[in-house]
Amino acid sequence: MRHQVKYFMLALAAFAMAALLSGCSQGNTIRIGTQTFSEPKILAQMYRLLIEDRTDLKVEVMPDLATSSVVLDAIKNNDIQMGTLYTGIIFDNYFPFEMTKDRGQVLKQAQAGFDQYYGLKWYDPYGFENTYAFTVRKELAEQEHLQKISDVRPKAASMRLGVDTSWLEREGDGYPAFQKTYGITFGKTYPMEVALVYNAVASQKMDIVLAYSTDARLKEYGLVTLEDDQHFFPPYDASPVIGKQVLSEHPELNEIIGLLVGKIDAETMIALNYEVDVNKRNEKKVAEEYLRKIGLLK
Amino acid sequence: MELFIRYIGENWADLLVLTYQHIVMVLLGLALALAAGVPLGIAASRHRTLGKVILTVANIIQVFPSLALLVLLMIVFGLGSTTVVIGLFLYSLLPVIRNTYVGLTQVSPTLLEAGRGVGMSPMQILINVQLPLALPFILTGIRVAAVIAIGVATIAPLVGGSGLGREIYAGINMDNPARLYAGAIPAALLALLADLALGRLHRTVKFGK
Repeated sequence: MRHQVKYFMLALAAFAMAALLSGCSQGNTIRIGTQTFSEPKILAQMYRLLIEDRTDLKVEVMPDLATSSVVLDAIKNNDIQMGTLYTGIIFDNYFPFEMTKDRGQVLKQAQAGFDQYYGLKWYDPYGFENTYAFTVRKELAEQEHLQKISDVRPKAASMRLGVDTSWLEREGDGYPAFQKTYGITFGKTYPMEVALVYNAVASQKMDIVLAYSTDARLKEYGLVTLEDDQHFFPPYDASPVIGKQVLSEHPELNEIIGLLVGKIDAETMIALNYEVDVNKRNEKKVAEEYLRKIGLLK
Repeated sequence: MELFIRYIGENWADLLVLTYQHIVMVLLGLALALAAGVPLGIAASRHRTLGKVILTVANIIQVFPSLALLVLLMIVFGLGSTTVVIGLFLYSLLPVIRNTYVGLTQVSPTLLEAGRGVGMSPMQILINVQLPLALPFILTGIRVAAVIAIGVATIAPLVGGSGLGREIYAGINMDNPARLYAGAIPAALLALLADLALGRLHRTVKFGK
């Protein structure tokens, strides 16, 4: 009877040693971090497949980092080396910036600023923008004649607003600045995982939500986005980013990252998000299928 | 339900990898806890004051909310599975120390006396008399620690770890119940299996074959 215990202990010890050893041998690993929603997760899987296909590097995707600023800090600390970020993030006060809503200007500031203050290489955009969009149900839009954000003002005090977990506190492009620009204050605000806002507004648990414009569920639930008539929201072009230190150690990554730059337009991104968010598939499979389809993966 | 089956069908290979990673994290944490906990338990049973200090410290670690403990560890060790393994190690420590301690101190004084009577050294008494008699208790400690560790390991993704928690968090964050179940059900099964297997081992040791 005792030797059973002995075997158990031996097995445990052997297993622990093996696991420790295998843990130590991964020096050449690139980690790609992602935010909590589908889009950056799909893009991270694409880069994982491309890098593992074209180099000997191992790639680990680290999903579900709470916000874009967590992703940024993690790259700065070299906990992760790559990610997808959106140009409008510069208005969240990471470094001094000049106020502008011009797409090219914002991109230029993001590229220069994050290079200087965070040691990041910020690539040119993939080719799509994922901006914030105030969103209501179609019936409500028709009934109250809502077409642009300003139309909401008379009703706002009695409305429930559902938003993602960072917008209420964001500085340059968040709620306080929004209140100043539009003079709109909502009755109640509910921060939640952004994936939940679509169902929340469709099922009337919320009256209005702040959605992400490339989300496929906007169409799926028949929702209407309101025009930003005061041009409050800055541009949010999505770009791949990488720590410059890793890039100098593995210069071959530069070409691989470039493979997707300028290659994914909003329509494509929405279709990919649709597969994950509406058809509930795993982003790994969706990414692989797409790369095979466009011939980047054989 | 249909979504769930389709999801499993398409991604079972990935789910197996996640399950394996989950098990590895838990076993590493347990192995470390055994390596440190049993000697600490022995020390605690030998010196009264030292024993109080060890048990109090282990108690304090145990009452820390798991999420808070992991995040605190993350500040020191960074994102990744190392942080999770250290967290699981700390969480498994108390059950192992306490059960070792209880197991050693419940050995009847007459048996110790008998050991001394036949000329055994204190070390021989510990190895040949006390530890074998304490074994069922120590196994209970491992059993409790394993079930706790399997549960705590599901929050690993919050500090950059891997394992079945990845699917659970993806399910929550992306509003996808199929993924939530794909992570939660295997994790629950793992805990049940560990409890059953270690329970059986415990009975074998305690009552013989």
